[in-house]
Parts: sequence; C-alpha cells; structure tokens
Amino acid sequence: MPVRTPHFPDLLFGSAGRLRRWEGALMGLLAAHGYRELHPSLVLREAIPDGALRFFDGDDLVALRWDFTMALAGVLARGFPTPPPRVSYAGAVFRRPAQPWEAVERFEVGCERIQPEGESPEEADVELAQLLMAIPGIIGLKGAILHLGNAALVRRPLEAEGLFGELADAVVAALSRRAPHRVKEALDGHPSAARLVAHAEALLSELDGPATLNALASSPYSELLRDERLHMERTLASLLPILPPNLELRVDLADVAGLGFYTGPTLRLWAPGAQQELAAGGRYDRLFPGLGRPWQAAGFCLRLSRLLDLAATRPDLFESPQ
Amino acid sequence: MSHSTLLIAFPKGRLGDELVPKLAGTPLALDAEALKSRVLRIPTATPGVAVLLLKGADLPRYVAAGVASLGIVGSDTLDEMDIDLLELADLGFGACRLSLCAQTGVTLEALRAKPHLRLATKFPKATEAWLSKEGLTAELVPLSSSAELAPLLGLADAIVDLVQTGGTLRAHGLVETTVLGRSSARLVAARGAYLSEPGRLRPLAETLIAALS
Repeated sequence: MPVRTPHFPDLLFGSAGRLRRWEGALMGLLAAHGYRELHPSLVLREAIPDGALRFFDGDDLVALRWDFTMALAGVLARGFPTPPPRVSYAGAVFRRPAQPWEAVERFEVGCERIQPEGESPEEADVELAQLLMAIPGIIGLKGAILHLGNAALVRRPLEAEGLFGELADAVVAALSRRAPHRVKEALDGHPSAARLVAHAEALLSELDGPATLNALASSPYSELLRDERLHMERTLASLLPILPPNLELRVDLADVAGLGFYTGPTLRLWAPGAQQELAAGGRYDRLFPGLGRPWQAAGFCLRLSRLLDLAATRPDLFESPQ
Repeated sequence: MSHSTLLIAFPKGRLGDELVPKLAGTPLALDAEALKSRVLRIPTATPGVAVLLLKGADLPRYVAAGVASLGIVGSDTLDEMDIDLLELADLGFGACRLSLCAQTGVTLEALRAKPHLRLATKFPKATEAWLSKEGLTAELVPLSSSAELAPLLGLADAIVDLVQTGGTLRAHGLVETTVLGRSSARLVAARGAYLSEPGRLRPLAETLIAALS
C-alpha cells in the first residue's frame, strides 16, 4: 500500500491568529472598494472535477469546494440576471495535491470584477492591479514584486497559426519552463516553427520593468499583438505613478500559467526569495459565456496558506515579528 | 544555511566529470582542495556562491524545492521526472543518444516481431512514449545501472539506454538498433527563486552559460 503524507495541516495559535487577522484586513480592503462578499457552499453536488476531494454522502457522490471562482461563477450564473459588479470571498478550498508538499486544505481571499459583455475591461484590470498593489503593505511584507503578464501574448499567435491540442500544449509547457530550445524541439518540421520560435525568444528575452515590452517589437506577431501591447502600456502608465515603496513592478511576457483559463492580462504577486507566488489572477472572459451568461470577468486570489508558510519559514520578509 | 548564499547543484558522474574542468579559471571555478575531500558542498571562486554535488536523479528535487537556485542536469533525467523547473539553456555538452540497443545481429524488425518483448531500462517514461508512438507493447524491466548486462544474461531482449561513444555497448557485444531521442546538459532554475529574484539569479545564470559555452 502506498504511503501518503497527510496533507491536512493544523493551524496552531500564531498561525490561526495570523489567518484570522489577515482575512479580516483583506476583506476590509475589498469592502472599502465596493466588493461584496459571497460565500458559496463548502459542499458541491454537481459538476465534480477530478482534482476535487470527493466522497460519498449515502449514495450521492459529493465534493468539497475546490475553487472559489468556479463556485462563485455557478452561483452568479444560476441566480443573477445581471452580474453584481464586484464580489469577494474568503475561506478554504480543498484540492488533491499535485506536488508532495502541497496541502489539501488551502485558505484563500479573493475578488472578482464582473461586467456585461461590451464594456471596456481596462478600468477593471487597472482596479484589480491597484488592489493587489495595496496588499503587501496590509499583510506587512517588507518587499514584494508584482508581475504583469498577458495570456493573449501566447494564445493569439498559437490560434493564428492553427496550433491546438498536443502540439500547442508542448509549446506552452516549453514556455512555462522558459526554454526556447524546447519550443524549437516541439515544433521541429512545423511550418510555423521559425515564427513561433522567434516569438518565444522575444517573450523570454527579458523579465524586468516596463522596458520589457520593447521585446515584443522583435516578435513576428508584433502587429497581431498591438492591442495587447497598448493595453499593457496604458496599465503601466496608470500604475507606475502610484507604486508603493518596496513594491517592484515587472513585466513577464512569458506568463503562461493557467493559459487554458486566462484570456488577457494576468497578475502575480511574489515576495523576494519566496518559492511560490503569493497571489495570482487575471482576465478570464470565456468563463461566464460558457455558463450561458454574456459577461466578462477578471479577479485575483491571495493564497493565504502560502503566506502563512512564508511567515513561519521566512519571518525576515515581514515588517514585524510574525 | 544563509539566505544570502546562492547554491548551484552540479551532477556527480559523467556530466560532472565534463563540467568541472570547463569551469577552471572562471568565476565559478570549484575550490580544488574541497574537491579532493569528501565534502559535497564546494566553495567557488565567487564569494557567496557554492556548489552542491548531487546524484543526477536527486538534483532536480533540490532545485525544485529551492534549496539550490540553479542546477545542471541531463535532459534525459528531466524528461523522466514530472517536476516543475525552469530550463534556462541547453548547454550543449554531455550530448548523447537515448537508443534501443540489442545484441549484434538482432535487428529492430526482429524485436518488433517478438510476441513478448522485454526491454530493460532506466528510462521507463521515454521508453513507454516510444512504444506508444510505434504501436508496440513490451514488458519493461526497470533497472538503475549496468543495463548492458540485461540482454547478455537473458533478463531482457534489448535495452533502452544512453549512448555517448558506443564504447560500453561494443564491449558488451551490443549495437544501437534505433535512436529514441537525444540528451544534453541543461541549466535549470528554481521557478520561485528565478521569478522572485531575477536580478540575483540571472547574472549568475549568464556567468554559467558564458563559462560553459
């Protein structure tokens, strides 16, 4: 019988207090910006995904809530003829761990910004980035890095070349590894190979401040991605003047994590030296249309469990003793 | 361990034997005295940068966990492990082929025709992928070393193994019947360390690439 590490951490006094304090402060920030809390049920009785923690309730297969965005999308699509523009959430999700060190129970706080189709999404994207920029100060991180990306920078060229399925997955996996040589290997012999390899090299050439966007000029798809570049430039122009001290803004052109879900701008929050991102989010305009609602949406999720781990293992990264 | 010390994981064995001399005279040259000893953490010519000497199969785990920020490992090892790492460069050296090898006189067609093919290998994932692509089925015999002995002693009909010069194969009366893939040394990085501190790691990665190219 395989030996499995128990992935159900108990939070003792310090961590439990920190969780409660952070949840309260973060939900307060979101409420102050007009976000209203929704609390979807912890137990799912439909559309049970593979990664969820499942069990039988009598004869019924049920699962524990595994993702707030998906749970909220179901609630909103079923119960609201027009979307509430701003919703927030806090609580635990339960997922089977993909890596041995991951916990099953994960604490999260997050928000969703929802609009009817056709409204300009730019203001909402900047609003979310501004909110995320305020979070390191609230939780007492001495320094943080906000990565701005855009899933369309990879998605649109792949679609333009008619690349789908396994081959597209191989290209995305290579980009995720930041390995242009793997992109070349994956596309060997394909008619779009030279263009997509040049594009991958452009995306991976820099990981720095706003000047990183200039790398897009050397991509064969620079014209195709003109709107995305302009959107990122405008976002940076809005954010840079209000950048808090100790927060660094970087442009990550090769951010492909969650590419199957995200459709536009992406956000990721890191602490210097942290092994995992502390928050992630972005625009996902295909979710609600898939549920029969012509709405577009973006949001982010703060991984409180990772922050609790970081406070325990790297207290030097926080302002006061954690 | 101080968070200010950057650790690079180097492989022991074949790749390490090629790697260490290439770094002589560079900012990442390994301390000669420490190398002669049995310690596995070796200072380099750059203060604040040290090298861990690890088995190739263990190395990706040290880097993925962020214990070492960078590492050098064969792409064959990476391909066998489902592990989340950045792969910053193909360093080119340590090039070898992953090949199906059988005793002299045994052809690929003869192996294909076997109703129950047995293949001994240290690379089950790559072997399974090749079998699937070729529409073949086989019993895989997992080995961790000296695979060349398997066909000679009847443990398997053939082996899937790395071939660099072919000397070891010839010494055991084996020949390559087909090439499944190619491998070379790759520079890998911990995702978290690289994305959260690129200003710290990127110059070190560039120094390594320059020293090894």
